[in-house]
Amino acid sequence: MAAGVALETLMARYQAGDIAAATDLIDCVSPQLHRFFRAQLATRADADDLLQETWLRIHRVRQTYRAGEPVLGWFYAIARHVGLDHYRRIRRTATRERRWAELSAFAEDSHPQHDDGDLDALLQALPTSQREVIEMLKVAGMSLEEVARATSSSVGAVKQKVHRAYRRLREQMNAPDRGKKPSGALS
Amino acid sequence: MKDEDIDRAAAEATPIPYELDEALRGRLRASIPAPLPPVRPVPATWVLRSALILVCAVVGVAGAARAGFYGIERLGLWGALPILAALGLLAWLASDKLIAELIPGRTHRLGAGALLASVSAVLLAVFGFSFTDYHTERFLSAGLTCLLTGLLHAIPAAVLLCLLLRRGFAANPISAGLVAGALSGLAGVTMLELHCANFEALHVLVWHTAVVPLSALAGAAVGWALRRRSPGPAH
Repeated sequence: MAAGVALETLMARYQAGDIAAATDLIDCVSPQLHRFFRAQLATRADADDLLQETWLRIHRVRQTYRAGEPVLGWFYAIARHVGLDHYRRIRRTATRERRWAELSAFAEDSHPQHDDGDLDALLQALPTSQREVIEMLKVAGMSLEEVARATSSSVGAVKQKVHRAYRRLREQMNAPDRGKKPSGALS
Repeated sequence: MKDEDIDRAAAEATPIPYELDEALRGRLRASIPAPLPPVRPVPATWVLRSALILVCAVVGVAGAARAGFYGIERLGLWGALPILAALGLLAWLASDKLIAELIPGRTHRLGAGALLASVSAVLLAVFGFSFTDYHTERFLSAGLTCLLTGLLHAIPAAVLLCLLLRRGFAANPISAGLVAGALSGLAGVTMLELHCANFEALHVLVWHTAVVPLSALAGAAVGWALRRRSPGPAH
Protein backbone atom coordinates (compact mmCIF):
# COMPACT_ATOMS: atom_id res chain seq x y z
CA MET A 1 0.00 0.00 0.00
CA ALA A 2 1.62 3.26 -1.18
CA ALA A 3 0.06 5.38 1.57
CA GLY A 4 1.32 2.94 4.22
CA VAL A 5 4.87 3.09 2.86
CA ALA A 6 4.73 6.88 2.81
CA LEU A 7 3.56 6.97 6.43
CA GLU A 8 6.38 4.67 7.48
CA THR A 9 8.91 6.89 5.73
CA LEU A 10 7.44 9.97 7.40
CA MET A 11 7.63 8.21 10.76
CA ALA A 12 11.31 7.35 10.26
CA ARG A 13 12.02 11.00 9.37
CA TYR A 14 10.02 12.15 12.41
CA GLN A 15 12.23 9.95 14.60
CA ALA A 16 15.28 11.46 12.94
CA GLY A 17 14.15 14.94 14.01
CA ASP A 18 12.49 16.18 10.80
CA ILE A 19 9.75 18.59 11.93
CA ALA A 20 8.22 18.79 8.43
CA ALA A 21 7.67 15.02 8.54
CA ALA A 22 5.98 15.39 11.95
CA THR A 23 3.64 18.04 10.52
CA ASP A 24 2.85 15.85 7.50
CA LEU A 25 2.08 12.94 9.81
CA ILE A 26 -0.27 15.10 11.86
CA ASP A 27 -2.08 16.15 8.67
CA CYS A 28 -2.30 12.58 7.34
CA VAL A 29 -3.23 10.63 10.44
CA SER A 30 -5.18 13.07 12.63
CA PRO A 31 -8.47 12.96 10.64
CA GLN A 32 -8.56 9.15 10.94
CA LEU A 33 -7.78 9.23 14.63
CA HIS A 34 -10.37 11.95 15.25
CA ARG A 35 -12.96 9.88 13.38
CA PHE A 36 -11.94 6.89 15.51
CA PHE A 37 -12.55 8.81 18.74
CA ARG A 38 -15.88 10.11 17.44
CA ALA A 39 -16.92 6.55 16.66
CA GLN A 40 -16.08 5.61 20.26
CA LEU A 41 -18.97 7.88 21.23
CA ALA A 42 -16.82 10.84 22.24
CA THR A 43 -18.26 14.33 21.86
CA ARG A 44 -16.50 16.60 19.37
CA ALA A 45 -14.78 18.49 22.24
CA ASP A 46 -13.69 15.20 23.85
CA ALA A 47 -12.39 13.90 20.52
CA ASP A 48 -10.37 17.11 20.08
CA ASP A 49 -8.84 16.69 23.56
CA LEU A 50 -8.18 12.98 23.03
CA LEU A 51 -6.50 13.68 19.69
CA GLN A 52 -4.25 16.28 21.27
CA GLU A 53 -3.41 13.90 24.12
CA THR A 54 -2.69 11.16 21.59
CA TRP A 55 -0.18 13.33 19.74
CA LEU A 56 1.53 14.28 22.99
CA ARG A 57 1.78 10.57 23.82
CA ILE A 58 2.99 9.72 20.31
CA HIS A 59 5.66 12.36 20.60
CA ARG A 60 6.79 11.07 23.99
CA VAL A 61 7.05 7.43 22.88
CA ARG A 62 8.05 7.86 19.23
CA GLN A 63 11.21 5.82 19.85
CA THR A 64 9.05 2.69 20.25
CA TYR A 65 8.20 2.62 16.54
CA ARG A 66 10.56 0.41 14.56
CA ALA A 67 11.09 0.78 10.85
CA GLY A 68 9.41 -1.89 8.78
CA GLU A 69 6.48 -2.47 11.13
CA PRO A 70 2.92 -1.34 10.24
CA VAL A 71 2.74 2.26 11.36
CA LEU A 72 -1.07 2.51 11.47
CA GLY A 73 -1.24 -0.31 14.02
CA TRP A 74 1.27 1.61 16.15
CA PHE A 75 -0.71 4.88 15.94
CA TYR A 76 -4.02 3.20 16.72
CA ALA A 77 -2.54 1.22 19.63
CA ILE A 78 -1.56 4.51 21.29
CA ALA A 79 -4.84 6.24 20.38
CA ARG A 80 -6.81 3.30 21.72
CA HIS A 81 -4.88 3.45 24.98
CA VAL A 82 -5.59 7.19 25.33
CA GLY A 83 -9.29 6.55 24.63
CA LEU A 84 -9.48 3.70 27.15
CA ASP A 85 -7.84 5.87 29.81
CA HIS A 86 -10.38 8.59 29.11
CA TYR A 87 -13.42 6.31 29.43
CA ARG A 88 -11.99 4.64 32.51
CA ARG A 89 -11.63 8.06 34.11
CA ILE A 90 -15.17 9.04 33.15
CA ARG A 91 -16.52 5.83 34.64
CA ARG A 92 -14.49 6.25 37.82
CA THR A 93 -15.69 9.81 38.27
CA ALA A 94 -19.25 8.81 37.52
CA THR A 95 -19.10 5.99 40.05
CA ARG A 96 -17.80 8.28 42.71
CA GLU A 97 -20.06 11.21 42.16
CA ARG A 98 -23.36 9.93 40.88
CA ARG A 99 -25.97 7.56 42.09
CA TRP A 100 -27.23 4.80 39.79
CA ALA A 101 -30.23 6.73 38.66
CA GLU A 102 -28.13 9.74 37.79
CA LEU A 103 -25.53 7.55 36.10
CA SER A 104 -27.93 6.29 33.45
CA ALA A 105 -28.94 9.85 32.65
CA PHE A 106 -25.26 10.78 32.38
CA ALA A 107 -24.62 7.90 30.00
CA GLU A 108 -27.42 9.14 27.76
CA ASP A 109 -25.99 12.66 27.75
CA SER A 110 -22.44 11.57 27.00
CA HIS A 111 -23.45 9.49 23.97
CA PRO A 112 -24.38 12.03 21.38
CA GLN A 113 -26.09 11.00 18.17
CA HIS A 114 -23.68 11.64 15.32
CA ASP A 115 -24.57 13.23 12.09
CA ASP A 116 -21.92 11.27 10.20
CA GLY A 117 -24.39 8.70 8.90
CA ASP A 118 -26.52 5.73 9.75
CA LEU A 119 -23.58 3.49 10.63
CA ASP A 120 -22.59 5.56 13.64
CA ALA A 121 -26.09 5.22 15.07
CA LEU A 122 -25.88 1.48 14.50
CA LEU A 123 -22.39 1.18 15.98
CA GLN A 124 -23.65 2.66 19.22
CA ALA A 125 -25.37 -0.64 19.92
CA LEU A 126 -22.04 -2.48 19.90
CA PRO A 127 -19.74 -2.98 22.89
CA THR A 128 -16.61 -0.80 22.76
CA SER A 129 -14.29 -3.67 21.80
CA GLN A 130 -16.42 -4.61 18.77
CA ARG A 131 -17.10 -1.01 17.79
CA GLU A 132 -13.40 -0.11 17.64
CA VAL A 133 -12.60 -3.18 15.54
CA ILE A 134 -15.33 -2.36 13.00
CA GLU A 135 -14.20 1.27 12.95
CA MET A 136 -10.58 0.33 12.22
CA LEU A 137 -11.39 -2.39 9.73
CA LYS A 138 -14.28 -0.93 7.77
CA VAL A 139 -13.89 2.81 8.15
CA ALA A 140 -10.12 3.34 8.54
CA GLY A 141 -9.45 0.55 6.03
CA MET A 142 -6.87 -1.27 8.13
CA SER A 143 -5.98 -4.93 7.58
CA LEU A 144 -6.79 -7.67 10.10
CA GLU A 145 -3.10 -7.82 11.02
CA GLU A 146 -2.97 -4.06 11.67
CA VAL A 147 -6.15 -4.19 13.77
CA ALA A 148 -4.71 -7.09 15.77
CA ARG A 149 -1.57 -5.04 16.44
CA ALA A 150 -3.58 -1.96 17.39
CA THR A 151 -5.82 -3.85 19.80
CA SER A 152 -3.04 -5.99 21.32
CA SER A 153 -4.77 -9.18 20.29
CA SER A 154 -4.45 -11.94 17.71
CA VAL A 155 -5.88 -11.99 14.19
CA GLY A 156 -8.20 -14.81 15.28
CA ALA A 157 -9.58 -12.72 18.13
CA VAL A 158 -10.20 -9.80 15.74
CA LYS A 159 -12.06 -12.09 13.31
CA GLN A 160 -14.21 -13.33 16.16
CA LYS A 161 -15.07 -9.78 17.25
CA VAL A 162 -15.97 -8.82 13.68
CA HIS A 163 -18.17 -11.89 13.36
CA ARG A 164 -20.00 -11.05 16.60
CA ALA A 165 -20.30 -7.38 15.66
CA TYR A 166 -21.80 -8.25 12.27
CA ARG A 167 -24.28 -10.61 13.87
CA ARG A 168 -25.33 -7.89 16.27
CA LEU A 169 -25.51 -5.28 13.52
CA ARG A 170 -27.66 -7.58 11.39
CA GLU A 171 -30.04 -8.09 14.31
CA GLN A 172 -30.08 -4.37 14.92
CA MET A 173 -30.75 -3.48 11.28
CA ASN A 174 -33.46 -6.12 10.95
CA ALA A 175 -35.14 -5.11 14.21
CA PRO A 176 -38.65 -3.66 13.67
CA ASP A 177 -38.03 -0.87 16.23
CA ARG A 178 -34.79 0.20 14.50
CA GLY A 179 -33.80 3.72 15.35
CA LYS A 180 -34.47 3.38 19.05
CA LYS A 181 -31.61 4.67 21.14
CA PRO A 182 -29.53 1.85 22.64
CA SER A 183 -28.81 1.89 26.35
CA GLY A 184 -25.82 0.80 28.43
CA ALA A 185 -23.27 1.29 25.67
CA LEU A 186 -20.58 2.12 28.21
CA SER A 187 -20.54 -1.41 29.56
CA MET B 1 -29.84 -7.66 5.75
CA LYS B 2 -26.50 -9.11 4.59
CA ASP B 3 -22.87 -8.44 5.49
CA GLU B 4 -22.47 -6.58 2.18
CA ASP B 5 -25.18 -4.14 3.26
CA ILE B 6 -23.23 -3.39 6.44
CA ASP B 7 -20.03 -2.92 4.39
CA ARG B 8 -21.91 -0.50 2.12
CA ALA B 9 -23.25 1.40 5.13
CA ALA B 10 -19.68 1.66 6.46
CA ALA B 11 -18.39 3.02 3.15
CA GLU B 12 -21.25 5.50 2.81
CA ALA B 13 -21.11 6.66 6.42
CA THR B 14 -17.47 7.70 6.21
CA PRO B 15 -17.13 11.28 5.05
CA ILE B 16 -13.99 11.29 2.86
CA PRO B 17 -11.95 13.34 3.48
CA TYR B 18 -12.80 13.76 7.16
CA GLU B 19 -11.71 17.32 7.79
CA LEU B 20 -10.43 18.72 11.07
CA ASP B 21 -10.83 22.27 12.33
CA GLU B 22 -7.93 24.40 11.24
CA ALA B 23 -7.58 25.63 14.84
CA LEU B 24 -7.22 22.07 16.12
CA ARG B 25 -4.74 21.25 13.37
CA GLY B 26 -2.74 24.32 14.41
CA ARG B 27 -2.78 23.24 18.06
CA LEU B 28 -1.55 19.77 17.11
CA ARG B 29 1.28 21.18 14.99
CA ALA B 30 2.22 23.56 17.80
CA SER B 31 2.49 20.64 20.23
CA ILE B 32 5.60 19.38 18.37
CA PRO B 33 8.56 21.27 19.84
CA ALA B 34 11.07 22.95 17.55
CA PRO B 35 13.89 22.07 17.20
CA LEU B 36 12.81 18.45 17.23
CA PRO B 37 15.45 16.23 18.89
CA PRO B 38 16.11 12.95 17.04
CA VAL B 39 15.41 9.70 18.89
CA ARG B 40 17.01 6.28 18.54
CA PRO B 41 14.41 3.54 17.95
CA VAL B 42 14.31 0.79 20.56
CA PRO B 43 16.57 -2.19 19.71
CA ALA B 44 15.39 -5.19 17.69
CA THR B 45 13.20 -7.76 19.44
CA TRP B 46 15.91 -10.45 19.48
CA VAL B 47 18.34 -8.06 21.21
CA LEU B 48 15.79 -7.12 23.86
CA ARG B 49 14.70 -10.72 24.33
CA SER B 50 18.29 -11.92 24.76
CA ALA B 51 18.99 -9.14 27.26
CA LEU B 52 15.85 -9.98 29.30
CA ILE B 53 16.66 -13.70 29.42
CA LEU B 54 20.28 -12.91 30.33
CA VAL B 55 19.14 -10.69 33.22
CA CYS B 56 16.95 -13.48 34.62
CA ALA B 57 19.75 -16.04 34.25
CA VAL B 58 22.33 -13.76 35.85
CA VAL B 59 20.08 -12.94 38.83
CA GLY B 60 19.24 -16.64 39.34
CA VAL B 61 22.84 -17.85 39.07
CA ALA B 62 24.25 -14.98 41.16
CA GLY B 63 21.72 -15.70 43.93
CA ALA B 64 22.54 -19.39 43.89
CA ALA B 65 26.29 -18.66 43.82
CA ARG B 66 25.89 -16.57 46.97
CA ALA B 67 23.69 -19.14 48.76
CA GLY B 68 25.30 -22.32 47.35
CA PHE B 69 24.55 -24.62 44.39
CA TYR B 70 23.23 -27.42 46.64
CA GLY B 71 20.21 -28.18 44.48
CA ILE B 72 21.99 -28.74 41.20
CA GLU B 73 24.83 -30.61 42.93
CA ARG B 74 22.37 -33.12 44.39
CA LEU B 75 20.18 -33.34 41.29
CA GLY B 76 23.06 -33.70 38.81
CA LEU B 77 23.31 -32.10 35.39
CA TRP B 78 21.05 -34.64 33.63
CA GLY B 79 18.40 -34.38 36.33
CA ALA B 80 18.46 -30.60 36.17
CA LEU B 81 18.45 -30.42 32.37
CA PRO B 82 14.66 -30.70 31.81
CA ILE B 83 14.01 -28.13 34.55
CA LEU B 84 16.56 -25.65 33.21
CA ALA B 85 15.35 -26.19 29.64
CA ALA B 86 11.75 -25.52 30.72
CA LEU B 87 12.82 -22.39 32.61
CA GLY B 88 14.69 -21.15 29.53
CA LEU B 89 11.70 -21.80 27.26
CA LEU B 90 9.29 -20.08 29.66
CA ALA B 91 11.64 -17.09 30.02
CA TRP B 92 11.73 -16.87 26.20
CA LEU B 93 7.91 -16.87 26.06
CA ALA B 94 7.52 -14.34 28.88
CA SER B 95 10.19 -12.01 27.50
CA ASP B 96 8.52 -12.07 24.07
CA LYS B 97 5.21 -11.14 25.70
CA LEU B 98 6.83 -8.43 27.82
CA ILE B 99 8.36 -6.82 24.71
CA ALA B 100 4.92 -6.94 23.03
CA GLU B 101 3.43 -5.24 26.10
CA LEU B 102 5.99 -2.42 26.05
CA ILE B 103 6.11 -1.69 22.33
CA PRO B 104 2.77 -0.46 20.93
CA GLY B 105 1.44 -2.11 17.81
CA ARG B 106 3.07 -5.50 18.36
CA THR B 107 1.18 -8.74 17.77
CA HIS B 108 0.17 -10.62 20.91
CA ARG B 109 0.11 -14.38 20.50
CA LEU B 110 -1.05 -14.96 24.07
CA GLY B 111 -2.92 -12.89 26.66
CA ALA B 112 -1.11 -11.97 29.90
CA GLY B 113 -3.42 -14.20 31.99
CA ALA B 114 -3.00 -17.10 29.57
CA LEU B 115 0.78 -16.67 29.73
CA LEU B 116 0.74 -16.81 33.53
CA ALA B 117 -1.49 -19.91 33.47
CA SER B 118 0.77 -21.58 30.89
CA VAL B 119 3.96 -20.80 32.82
CA SER B 120 2.47 -22.16 36.06
CA ALA B 121 1.10 -25.27 34.33
CA VAL B 122 4.42 -26.07 32.60
CA LEU B 123 6.34 -25.61 35.87
CA LEU B 124 3.90 -27.91 37.68
CA ALA B 125 4.22 -30.52 34.94
CA VAL B 126 8.03 -30.43 34.87
CA PHE B 127 8.33 -30.48 38.67
CA GLY B 128 5.73 -33.27 38.90
CA PHE B 129 7.76 -35.27 36.40
CA SER B 130 11.16 -34.56 38.02
CA PHE B 131 10.32 -34.95 41.74
CA THR B 132 8.48 -38.03 42.97
CA ASP B 133 9.16 -38.09 46.71
CA TYR B 134 5.75 -37.33 48.25
CA HIS B 135 6.95 -37.59 51.83
CA THR B 136 6.87 -34.17 53.54
CA GLU B 137 8.72 -32.67 56.47
CA ARG B 138 8.53 -29.08 57.74
CA PHE B 139 6.22 -28.34 54.81
CA LEU B 140 5.21 -24.86 55.94
CA SER B 141 8.41 -23.49 57.48
CA ALA B 142 10.76 -24.79 54.76
CA GLY B 143 8.25 -23.78 52.10
CA LEU B 144 7.85 -20.23 53.34
CA THR B 145 11.64 -19.82 53.44
CA CYS B 146 11.93 -20.91 49.80
CA LEU B 147 8.97 -18.75 48.75
CA LEU B 148 10.48 -15.69 50.42
CA THR B 149 13.92 -16.39 48.92
CA GLY B 150 12.42 -16.74 45.44
CA LEU B 151 10.42 -13.53 45.78
CA LEU B 152 13.43 -11.64 47.12
CA HIS B 153 15.37 -12.64 44.00
CA ALA B 154 12.49 -11.60 41.77
CA ILE B 155 12.80 -8.01 43.03
CA PRO B 156 16.29 -7.23 41.64
CA ALA B 157 15.34 -9.04 38.42
CA ALA B 158 12.25 -6.82 38.11
CA VAL B 159 14.31 -3.68 38.71
CA LEU B 160 16.81 -4.68 36.02
CA LEU B 161 14.00 -5.55 33.58
CA CYS B 162 12.45 -2.12 34.14
CA LEU B 163 15.82 -0.47 33.50
CA LEU B 164 16.26 -2.43 30.28
CA LEU B 165 12.81 -1.55 29.00
CA ARG B 166 12.61 2.01 30.34
CA ARG B 167 12.29 3.43 26.81
CA GLY B 168 9.19 1.33 26.14
CA PHE B 169 5.57 2.35 26.66
CA ALA B 170 3.10 0.17 28.52
CA ALA B 171 -0.27 0.62 26.80
CA ASN B 172 -1.77 -1.59 29.51
CA PRO B 173 0.31 -1.18 32.72
CA ILE B 174 -1.54 -3.94 34.61
CA SER B 175 -0.91 -6.50 31.93
CA ALA B 176 2.70 -5.33 31.46
CA GLY B 177 3.26 -5.48 35.24
CA LEU B 178 1.82 -8.97 35.41
CA VAL B 179 4.12 -10.25 32.64
CA ALA B 180 7.18 -8.45 34.09
CA GLY B 181 6.36 -9.99 37.47
CA ALA B 182 6.04 -13.46 35.95
CA LEU B 183 9.40 -13.11 34.17
CA SER B 184 11.07 -11.83 37.36
CA GLY B 185 9.47 -14.74 39.22
CA LEU B 186 11.16 -17.12 36.79
CA ALA B 187 14.52 -15.62 37.88
CA GLY B 188 13.53 -16.45 41.48
CA VAL B 189 12.54 -20.02 40.51
CA THR B 190 15.87 -20.44 38.67
CA MET B 191 17.72 -19.45 41.83
CA LEU B 192 15.65 -21.92 43.89
CA GLU B 193 16.23 -24.81 41.48
CA LEU B 194 19.98 -24.22 41.58
CA HIS B 195 20.09 -23.73 45.35
CA CYS B 196 17.33 -25.69 47.11
CA ALA B 197 18.24 -29.29 47.96
CA ASN B 198 14.77 -30.12 49.30
CA PHE B 199 13.43 -32.55 46.69
CA GLU B 200 10.07 -33.30 48.31
CA ALA B 201 7.57 -33.15 45.46
CA LEU B 202 4.94 -31.15 47.36
CA HIS B 203 7.53 -28.63 48.54
CA VAL B 204 8.73 -27.94 45.00
CA LEU B 205 5.25 -28.10 43.42
CA VAL B 206 3.67 -25.70 45.89
CA TRP B 207 6.34 -23.31 47.10
CA HIS B 208 8.71 -23.06 44.14
CA THR B 209 5.89 -22.72 41.61
CA ALA B 210 4.09 -20.16 43.79
CA VAL B 211 6.93 -17.68 43.26
CA VAL B 212 5.77 -16.99 39.68
CA PRO B 213 2.05 -16.21 40.27
CA LEU B 214 2.80 -14.21 43.44
CA SER B 215 5.47 -12.19 41.70
CA ALA B 216 3.11 -11.67 38.73
CA LEU B 217 0.34 -10.46 41.07
CA ALA B 218 2.75 -8.03 42.70
CA GLY B 219 3.74 -6.75 39.25
CA ALA B 220 0.08 -6.34 38.27
CA ALA B 221 -0.55 -4.40 41.50
CA VAL B 222 2.34 -2.05 40.69
CA GLY B 223 0.92 -1.60 37.17
CA TRP B 224 -2.53 -0.87 38.58
CA ALA B 225 -1.07 1.76 40.94
CA LEU B 226 0.87 3.36 38.06
CA ARG B 227 -2.24 3.48 35.89
CA ARG B 228 -4.24 5.21 38.60
CA ARG B 229 -1.51 7.82 38.89
CA SER B 230 -1.30 8.49 35.15
CA PRO B 231 -2.47 12.00 34.24
CA GLY B 232 -5.44 12.47 31.92
CA PRO B 233 -5.93 14.81 28.99
CA ALA B 234 -5.66 18.47 29.92
CA HIS B 235 -9.05 20.16 29.66
